[in-house]
Amino acid sequence: MTSAPAPIRLSHVSLVYEGGVVALDDVSLEVARGERVCVLGANGSGKSTLASVICGLLAPDAGVVELVGERVCADGRPDLEAYRRARRSLGLVFQNPDDQIVTSVVEDDVAFGPENLGLPREEIASRVARELHRVALDDYAAADPSRLSGGQKQRVAIAGALAMEPDVLVLDEPGSLLDVRGRSAILRVMGRLAKAGTTLVHVTHFMEEAVEADRVIVLDHGHIVLEGTPDEVFAHGAELLDLGLEVPFAARLSQRLGLPWTCSEQHLVDNLCELGTVPNSQKSLMDRRPQHIKNVCELGTVPNLQVEHASFSYSGRARALDDVSLEVAPGTSTAIIGQTGSGKSTLLRLLCGLEVPDAGRIVVAGNDTATKRGRKAVRRVVGYVMQHPERQLFAETVEKDVEFGPRNLRLPSDEVARRVNRALELVGLAGKRDASPFALSGGQRRLCALAGILAMEPEVLILDEPTAGLDPRGRAMLRRVLARLRERGITLVQVTHSMEDAARCDRVAALDQSRLVAVGTPREVFSPENEKRLTESGLGIPRSLRVARELERRGWPALGEPITTDELVAAIGETVR
Amino acid sequence: MALKISIGQYYAAPSPVHALDARVKLWCVLAALVAIFCTSNAAQLALAVVFVAALLVLSRVPAGRVLASVRPLMVFLAVLSLFNLFFVRGGEVVAALGPVSVTSGGIAAAVLYTARFALALVTGSLVMLTTTPTQLADAFDRMLSPLSRVGLPGHEIAMVFSLMMRFVPTLADETSAIIDAQSLRGGAFDEGGPIQRVRSIVPVVVALLASGLRHADGLSRALDARCYEGGAGRTHLHEQRLGAREAAAAALTAAFVVLIALLGLLL
Repeated sequence: MTSAPAPIRLSHVSLVYEGGVVALDDVSLEVARGERVCVLGANGSGKSTLASVICGLLAPDAGVVELVGERVCADGRPDLEAYRRARRSLGLVFQNPDDQIVTSVVEDDVAFGPENLGLPREEIASRVARELHRVALDDYAAADPSRLSGGQKQRVAIAGALAMEPDVLVLDEPGSLLDVRGRSAILRVMGRLAKAGTTLVHVTHFMEEAVEADRVIVLDHGHIVLEGTPDEVFAHGAELLDLGLEVPFAARLSQRLGLPWTCSEQHLVDNLCELGTVPNSQKSLMDRRPQHIKNVCELGTVPNLQVEHASFSYSGRARALDDVSLEVAPGTSTAIIGQTGSGKSTLLRLLCGLEVPDAGRIVVAGNDTATKRGRKAVRRVVGYVMQHPERQLFAETVEKDVEFGPRNLRLPSDEVARRVNRALELVGLAGKRDASPFALSGGQRRLCALAGILAMEPEVLILDEPTAGLDPRGRAMLRRVLARLRERGITLVQVTHSMEDAARCDRVAALDQSRLVAVGTPREVFSPENEKRLTESGLGIPRSLRVARELERRGWPALGEPITTDELVAAIGETVR
Repeated sequence: MALKISIGQYYAAPSPVHALDARVKLWCVLAALVAIFCTSNAAQLALAVVFVAALLVLSRVPAGRVLASVRPLMVFLAVLSLFNLFFVRGGEVVAALGPVSVTSGGIAAAVLYTARFALALVTGSLVMLTTTPTQLADAFDRMLSPLSRVGLPGHEIAMVFSLMMRFVPTLADETSAIIDAQSLRGGAFDEGGPIQRVRSIVPVVVALLASGLRHADGLSRALDARCYEGGAGRTHLHEQRLGAREAAAAALTAAFVVLIALLGLLL
């Protein structure tokens, strides 16, 4: 065991990829033993490259790298033997859980690293048991990883890295492909590791995850642009926005309220309580609910999508959907929320006519999906944006890929061209039409796939977690495009894990264990009566509502139902005044 | 439609068949398969049925799971039995309809060949259901280790096999998702002539290839990060040790083979 003071030391490290892309540019960094460092940056900022350099998988072109006491690289000359030795004390967990699991049994996978280290059998067995316990997967030792949820798989990957007893654990966006529950489980494991004194380097684009770190480093174009404690770094709100990042919710809110800067929701609530309020004796804010919410049921239009008592189960398995009824009016937006496995994706597949309900019926724009003809008609009306739609890209240019759909419809070539232009304009990729879709950024790739579906000119767009895995900039781009589509009267139905996204829709439908548990306007669904149920089924409520409830619990007068930040700021302003 | 890939799916259960050393299991099964394919009379067939049924019970794998895993090959089996039924001549004519006739020899052949094949399939799928890909890979690794001495990458072949097993379900899921997505964009995969069909598959294959490359990239990162450097110096969590269980399995298999041979000689 080496016991050098700093297990990670990079000085003036630069790395250029083929084609002249500068990934790291004169980066100097030291990570102390037991420190928890968080690296933030937008896509393409070089943060993944930095993670690879830190865990000894990539040697830079210039600069000095010392890892766990080994001088592995000096002036761009890597010492391969030193790298091999260093790697034995460095662990890595990265984005895609599927790619990190190399065997078909959980226990064997955790054992894989220690086996490679050549440890004796008894030692491997005890480490496997210990690490599976640490990530709370003791009961899954004999399970097949491909049957686990994304979050569970990622915990297997973490156990596999920890079983090698690394001096430093590098986590490269471990939560970006997971749902909220999966992500918070990973964060809990990280919290325990930090407490136990493990050195952690955590790369992420979720700002909330950085709040717990000892030190935050912000990368942009391969440079370190900001460095300090979370409070110090997040005080640079405007700069972070320019870099394509965002500041944590608590920080944003405290800034808007003119309160002392803080990144923690707890501190924010404390500050507000210290501020004291004028007891609101005049009238409860509950009476002053904004009246501009449009309730689709009252519009008196024929619903565009009708789900009537639909039930469905995949062959030989438990019900994936149980007696669900739902109506969606034309031109509205609906969010479907629910845990992984609650039946959300199944509902979408039924709506697109990819599956037919076992009982009940689905009618889309007047077409029943029970018949083949009905399903064919449905496919002309509905556009389906699957999870990670960029995986369906295949053509050599953006234009050719978007063209695929309209060409299949055998439209005349000027009509194809018109649709392609319109779709590319809608998503803002008109300038990239001759680029290869594989050369685009993550957010642009997703928009390109979306354009391919928009070129079919659907009346209804069905999206399965459209923002999953995107960085803040990509998420913002996508939200803007969806807003534009809504203005044009396209009916939107999206599955989302973000309660904030759900709060921005006209209607919210909550699924839990294959059943519909709540449906209505966001205000109805996130009402105090539903709050307990939503929290119990692991969904929670929008952040602004959560802060309002916490304030009320600590003695504030009723703040109403502020489901967006704007409404919360207004409600607090009202009360404080 | 989701692709139903059940090849190589492991079914966990606490059974002596599961616990058997994978090398011994493979050799025993190989011997048993040869014996099953040598059956030619009713007594031998009955013995083979009893043997395979006993194996099934011992393995504690539900019969339904076994059936599900051999289902894709059932069609092949049905065609095979029909061929035998109509084209094998011998014995007396049992039934005739115009130029088509069924003979007793045909029926015997149909029953025998179908039964042999079905028994072999069930035995083979039991191996896959009771052995994890890791165990299989390790077993191959050791069985192939003589190859390493003559310079062939025995261990690496076994590792590639194991990784392939691991990624079959992942890629199958992605394939069905991509097929769904492209067909919703009007891609037709079950229409038109052969050329059109080949052309229509391009959007799926290219997208799948891109996804395969992404997985390969991630996987190589994972293998490096976990210090995989080939077979040298690797230890194993599950030590494969030959004991009483393996001896019993070998003895039982040997008895089965000898009995089949005896029944063949006597009858």
